[in-house]
Amino acid sequence: MFRQPARFVLPVVAALALGACGVGGSGSDDTTATVSGEIKGEITFQTWNLKGGYEEYFTGLVTAFQTANPGTTVTWIDQPPEGYQDKLSADAAAGSLPDVVDIGPEAAFTLAGAGMLLDLSKTDPDAAKDYLPKAWDANHFPSLGGTYAYPWYLNTGPSFFNTALLDKCGVDKAALPTTFDALFTAGQTMASKCKSGETMVGRLPAIETFGAYGVPLMNAEGTTFTFNDAKGVELVTRYKQLFEAGGLTEATLNELQTGEVDAFKAGQVGWLPGSSYTLKDLKSTAPKIAETVAISPQITNDKPNMYIESLAVNAKSKNTATAVAFAKFATNRENQLGFSSKAAIFPSAAGALEDAYFTTDDGTPEAKLRVESAKAVSEAIVYWPAAFSSKSVDFMREQIALAVLGKKDVQAALDESVKYAQDNLPK
Amino acid sequence: MTRAQRAGRYLVLTGFFLLLAGPLLWQLSLSVKGPGDDLYAQPPQIIPSDPTLDNYTGVLDRVPVLSYVWNSGLVALIVVGGNVAGATLAGYALARLRFRFRGLVTGLFVVALLVPIEAIIIAQFLLVRSTGLADTLLGVALPTAVGALNVLLMRNAFQSIPNELEEAARIDGAGVWQRFRHICAPQVRGVMTVVAVFSFVGAWNDFLWPLIVLSGEENYTLTLGLNRLRGTFVSDPRLIAAGTIIALVPILAVFALLQRYFFRGLQAGGIKG
Repeated sequence: MFRQPARFVLPVVAALALGACGVGGSGSDDTTATVSGEIKGEITFQTWNLKGGYEEYFTGLVTAFQTANPGTTVTWIDQPPEGYQDKLSADAAAGSLPDVVDIGPEAAFTLAGAGMLLDLSKTDPDAAKDYLPKAWDANHFPSLGGTYAYPWYLNTGPSFFNTALLDKCGVDKAALPTTFDALFTAGQTMASKCKSGETMVGRLPAIETFGAYGVPLMNAEGTTFTFNDAKGVELVTRYKQLFEAGGLTEATLNELQTGEVDAFKAGQVGWLPGSSYTLKDLKSTAPKIAETVAISPQITNDKPNMYIESLAVNAKSKNTATAVAFAKFATNRENQLGFSSKAAIFPSAAGALEDAYFTTDDGTPEAKLRVESAKAVSEAIVYWPAAFSSKSVDFMREQIALAVLGKKDVQAALDESVKYAQDNLPK
Repeated sequence: MTRAQRAGRYLVLTGFFLLLAGPLLWQLSLSVKGPGDDLYAQPPQIIPSDPTLDNYTGVLDRVPVLSYVWNSGLVALIVVGGNVAGATLAGYALARLRFRFRGLVTGLFVVALLVPIEAIIIAQFLLVRSTGLADTLLGVALPTAVGALNVLLMRNAFQSIPNELEEAARIDGAGVWQRFRHICAPQVRGVMTVVAVFSFVGAWNDFLWPLIVLSGEENYTLTLGLNRLRGTFVSDPRLIAAGTIIALVPILAVFALLQRYFFRGLQAGGIKG
């Protein structure tokens, strides 16, 4: 999910501390006691901006659950895209967090750290086998000692190249880059041939780029960030060299993902790390670019990168058994397949990717894209560490921009980013 | 004025017009572009090659805009009413009545201006929740119903009325209420309009606070509702532009209605404030 982090994030820790007084903080048992009790009563299920396109699917899902479990009522609410983390923090603080919430690893990490989410490694350790191991791992936070959400939908995507631009700037479109080495070489070629602002790369590396480059992001215990090692310095140095050769514009330096997509649609950037819905987007908003676009496997030195959304259960839910049952129902193989056939995303349930829908290429570009991405998903990793907050994302981007501009030593910039991320970890 | 000077002046004026109205024009043009239009064409295209009104019907189909407008309207009404009445009364008291700790109270209002909303929003939410107003429009409107800035604006406006005017009224036997209603309030009508317009725009455009207070869609205000037009995975910029234009119409209407007073108010503030 290429969603932008919230524009600013509330001081979450303080907020949750406040909330603990507000609701008369209950014992820590909430998160770990085994779930028992009847599947009955009312629960609230919150999704993040899914009503616009998939209302029918979710009403059907809720009805199916209620029919299968008589005596249950599921109230479905959907939140708008912006400010979702703020909404979660405020609700958690006020004790009004819904029973089942759609959540990304980073928000789950924050809420789990405050004892707001059910620790599945204690309450439901057997569930692990029902999901792709890498997806299950994405919600395992070693520093907190538990696993805090049921994996839901995944996304990944190949590289998109603007072949018209590659032609114009002397890059061979028959041999599209699939490694970082090839990408930087192509970037240098473009910089030497095209001097009017067209570049190969449209964005500075983010934390997941470091992961795909092969930089170790954190130690195994999940307590220390490690991306300031020699490999990390090497990656940033290559961006710096590209910038010095004219292969990155100054405007790129503070660009977010949406800016990168816009630049690609405007024909100014040759390479876009895309996702399974990028093709559809290009066709509807930038038809000229879509005509000449070429798709090739994601650029990585290791495994491909993916993003994940999960369903977490509120540890203070009044109907925990029902909430758990619903979270598992929504993320089971059948329902995940149902959702991924509606939305261009990938299921995390074990075995779901073996479905014919993800293995049969019927010749359309969309199906080809889907099948290739599904192959990538089955081996992909969620590189972005949950403990790397969106504030750290912004800070790191600024530091890397300074390093690329030559205003700061590369090593120093990464050291400071690591320190900042480290200081943002819950104590 | 020489010809060159005149040309220069018009050049600057045109430049400013483009700077201020350009983005609006772009949104308007985007909102009527059809599927055949390349949105990222270089150079940018203002006249759509495949014009359509489908985006507007698309917005109306996808989200219940009228219900959002109604909710936003209610919130705006409470906020505008609260600010015009509350800030005027409070401003008069701070400027004209003598009571103990008056300076301290004025200082408190200034301090309140310095506190960023992000710092207190959770505490504010807990307060609203504990009064049972979470997920209601009243809960959205109340915290901004009397703004500190507006109180200070009104205070300054009242202070600029010559004392003699009120003294004359007092000699004629007018009480505090009469002096407020018949002598002072009519003098500051312009500033009251400024307060009304500012608080309307503030209430109409607020996003974070309604997001936190409201959870049910039936209470959504327009900003929350239109945010839904951003697709889950891919956004259609045409749809968003159409939504923006729809949201803008009521603001333009309010401004057009109050414009006569508005400019008078700004001038009064500029000269005497």
